[in-house]
Amino acid sequence: MAQAMTDTEAPPGVPATAPPPVRNRRRRPAPYLLLVPALATLLLGLGYPLVRQVAMSFQEFGLAQQFGTADPGWIGFDNYVEILSDPTTWAVIARSVVFCFAAASLTLVIGMGVALLMRSISTVARLILQVSMLAAWATPLIASLTVWNWLFDTRYGVVNWLLVKIGFEGMEGYSWLANPWTFFLVAGVIVVWMSVPFVAFSLYAALTQVPEETLEAAQLDGASRTQRFRHIIVPTIRPVLSIVMLLQIVWDLRVFAQIKYLQGAGGTVSETNLLGTYLYQLGIAQSEYGVASAVAMVMLLLTLGLTFGYVRSLLREERAS
Amino acid sequence: MKNLTRLAVLGVASALALTACGSSDSDDSASGDKVIKLWLAGETDTPEALTKWLEKEYEADNEGTDLKIEHIDWGQLVPRLQTALSDENQTPDVFEVGNTQSPTFTSVGAFTDLTDKVGELGDDIGPESFVEAGAYDGKQFAVPYYWGSRYVFYSKKAFADAGIALPTTLDAFNTAVVELKKKSGDKNYSGFWVPGQDWRNGISWIFANGGDIAVQEGDSWVGKLSSAESVKGLEAWKNLSDNASAAPKDGLDAEAWVPFNNGEAAAFMAPGWARWSVPEEMAADLGGFALPGNDGAAAPVFAGGSNIGISAKSKNQDEAFALLQLIYSDEYQSLLAENGLGPANPEFTAKMGEDEFAKSAVDAASNSKLTPTSPNWTEVETSQVMEEFFGKIAGGADIAKTAADYDAKLAEILNK
Amino acid sequence: MTTTTTRTRRRPGRTLLSTLAIVIAAVWAFPVYWMVNSSFQTLGRLRSPEPAWLPFGGDTSPDAYGRVADASFWDAMQLSLTVTLLAVGAGLVFAFLAALAISRFRIRGKTAFIVVILIVQMIPAEALFISQYKMLSGWGLFNTVAGLTLLYLAMILPFTIWMLRGFVAGVPAELEEAAMVDGCSRFRAFFTITFPLLAPGLVASGVYGFLQCWNEITLATVVMDPSNRTIPLWLQGMTTVSNQAIDWPAVMAGATLVAIPVIGLFMFVQSKMTSGMVSGAVKG
Repeated sequence: MAQAMTDTEAPPGVPATAPPPVRNRRRRPAPYLLLVPALATLLLGLGYPLVRQVAMSFQEFGLAQQFGTADPGWIGFDNYVEILSDPTTWAVIARSVVFCFAAASLTLVIGMGVALLMRSISTVARLILQVSMLAAWATPLIASLTVWNWLFDTRYGVVNWLLVKIGFEGMEGYSWLANPWTFFLVAGVIVVWMSVPFVAFSLYAALTQVPEETLEAAQLDGASRTQRFRHIIVPTIRPVLSIVMLLQIVWDLRVFAQIKYLQGAGGTVSETNLLGTYLYQLGIAQSEYGVASAVAMVMLLLTLGLTFGYVRSLLREERAS
Repeated sequence: MKNLTRLAVLGVASALALTACGSSDSDDSASGDKVIKLWLAGETDTPEALTKWLEKEYEADNEGTDLKIEHIDWGQLVPRLQTALSDENQTPDVFEVGNTQSPTFTSVGAFTDLTDKVGELGDDIGPESFVEAGAYDGKQFAVPYYWGSRYVFYSKKAFADAGIALPTTLDAFNTAVVELKKKSGDKNYSGFWVPGQDWRNGISWIFANGGDIAVQEGDSWVGKLSSAESVKGLEAWKNLSDNASAAPKDGLDAEAWVPFNNGEAAAFMAPGWARWSVPEEMAADLGGFALPGNDGAAAPVFAGGSNIGISAKSKNQDEAFALLQLIYSDEYQSLLAENGLGPANPEFTAKMGEDEFAKSAVDAASNSKLTPTSPNWTEVETSQVMEEFFGKIAGGADIAKTAADYDAKLAEILNK
Repeated sequence: MTTTTTRTRRRPGRTLLSTLAIVIAAVWAFPVYWMVNSSFQTLGRLRSPEPAWLPFGGDTSPDAYGRVADASFWDAMQLSLTVTLLAVGAGLVFAFLAALAISRFRIRGKTAFIVVILIVQMIPAEALFISQYKMLSGWGLFNTVAGLTLLYLAMILPFTIWMLRGFVAGVPAELEEAAMVDGCSRFRAFFTITFPLLAPGLVASGVYGFLQCWNEITLATVVMDPSNRTIPLWLQGMTTVSNQAIDWPAVMAGATLVAIPVIGLFMFVQSKMTSGMVSGAVKG
């Protein structure tokens, strides 16, 4: 790989009449070679399965087809019609979008706050904060879900115990998961708890790119904390911030494990399904892979729709550079 | 361009080389023997003594054949079967599935048809409900592997202190546990632990009153939760939930012994192995009996357990059937029974033991029932329709109306 | 050039902020503490009306650790570490090269590449495992570290490319160009100027990729043999027993054993990278 990178001789196949270099950038093979490992991996690891998934969304494909005892028939848009004509689907979509925005914005606000906090506190306090965030992050999924479920347990949960101790007698034996609102409150707490460390560390990393001397110059010129944040910090970390934001939306829209676990611990499935669990139930648990693939495609379109503004501005930025 | 292509190939090759160097698969087929693969569900559900016996006997009976037994965690069983059963190189030759999971696989041709051979396994295999779960379209695909049953565990001291005799009918049971709670004077105490979403135990009250979940009438399934019998059972159960139990209305059947161990419940209902979850110092106080029905005999309970069959894609059909025969041999059936697993051959049921727990298990199983044998039942379980239904009833919803709603839901799913 | 030391000047409200940080740290650490605490309790004490707050005294004991640290734990640990480290290592290198290409060079089809990566990142992968299984089985890569690594690599790559691209974009190209005027090649300029500034970004995306692979369940289930279990499958195995009670203290002990090396690894990398970053900034 190193040899390929230092090889600056243009191979014969590349046209010699490249457009005039802008800011010293010439078209050479090396930049393309840089993409090869990533592209090859994606093609090998995801290419065929993704094409299969798209194809399956137009097929009758269940366990019988998987075991080869029935042929997968092409059924056009039937899978899509089946899902989209079901009012449940729309209720699930609405619920997911609301949950996604609530969880993602809370995560971003807290994550940003923690990242900024890490910059302006003593080394000891920062270390403590970083270790606890890392610990929360590194806890295996199964363990953290179980522990959270215990904390909110109706009879033996620490949360109810504490609430009773500080005077909310009515919370004794409160079933958090029985009511959809408190169900999503608990789910939201868990999702935010799990995602904040990623956002905080990414933004903290991005903040280290903010030139310190510019900040100090601005401070000397009398710029307020808010002004410095808006005019110096945000523009520098914008690329990372917007990617973190996008990813958070993508992930929170398809949140699965947390919801599934809480449903199994007492939630009412039909009132708490989000896209992730709905897809799982509809397709995977019942082995209807065709339907599952169709839901996946619908989720893709929904994600694209929700992030359209961002994607467009990103592409514009790309073209401008 | 040729250059680029060559480099692309190089890149891919190096990517693979990088990942391949850590390859560590170990295959024990080095001996060159034919390998028969048996998948058993659960790490320890089939005890080691049994698997050891199978390996030894099978290899002795079938010269040149290795029996490889793999334990599949219950949580991974279905995704593994969904993929491996489709592939003749990876499929197990013989595999176990949970009894309510079997219709999913019998209906799609995953099992070899055993209709003509089932007689060679035994004349009177059972339980009947398991045999039904293994059949599809008039053909027998899977056969019972072992069964377990649910019965009532209780504190002898709590019953004695309250001066309550062991109930022999369902009505007497219902009255007794309400009385136990009343006498304790503690709103957090349960005479009988009834978590709101615990349908697996709750359906016994429906069954005992002659009701059912759903039945097949002609070509279609009809929900029976709203039948007069079912509603009667549900009313009795709801009364327990309100007046005999302090369990959460959204509670599930998992770990029903926890409140008992904490001294907060006088009785609970659970599969037989739950007795090992009661601490030793409380063992002397622990008793068991099969839930009585209205007629004094055991009430019908939901049966746990597994079915077993041969993968249709297996390249070793004869060897696989020989293994199934070994599992149905007298020796193995006795071993199952001696280890507390209900044997498929009823002749050996007596070997499960003489104590009250073994007797309760056998009594309870004498009247066990399974969920409807529709391949779509999986959907009912994965979308937790029954949990939701019982939770709503426990929460105070109108019984007849809710039951009618859920009958419609069941019919819609089962008739898809 | 200012270094971080100038930031240690006392500022009003700093004690207040540090206190706030400790409170947040406590909230985030509490469930982790509860996990560790639970691993020392007896099964009965774990679920009782009065919470058991402390992992010592009473009838606590470290017995659960003895129950879980058997051969199957070490096998699972070895497999998980191998696959995860290979996938993350290769993922960071591949993504770094790709991020470099799309943010520092004019490349035909760049937009297309970016859009493809973006969409791949957005596709829910729920139904993919069926095809991924067939694919690996067909290539003879079923139940191999190479096969699982390839799938994990493909799983984390789009995200990693995105993250690293964001970090590369945060470093002004002018910094490199200044160095190039001094006769550095673009690659040299990139590695001396930009790379040190990317270190924290590499850590953040590396850690995320690591945890994605470390916690993955479905693919590890379907493309590996039942006897070759990764860590989450090993943990899951303890929680899905069907004819005995779940040994929760052991599950929590296992989870603690899994978390400790991961936290240690991250702390080590983080401190290395932070010091590397500071010295790089000073040199720049």
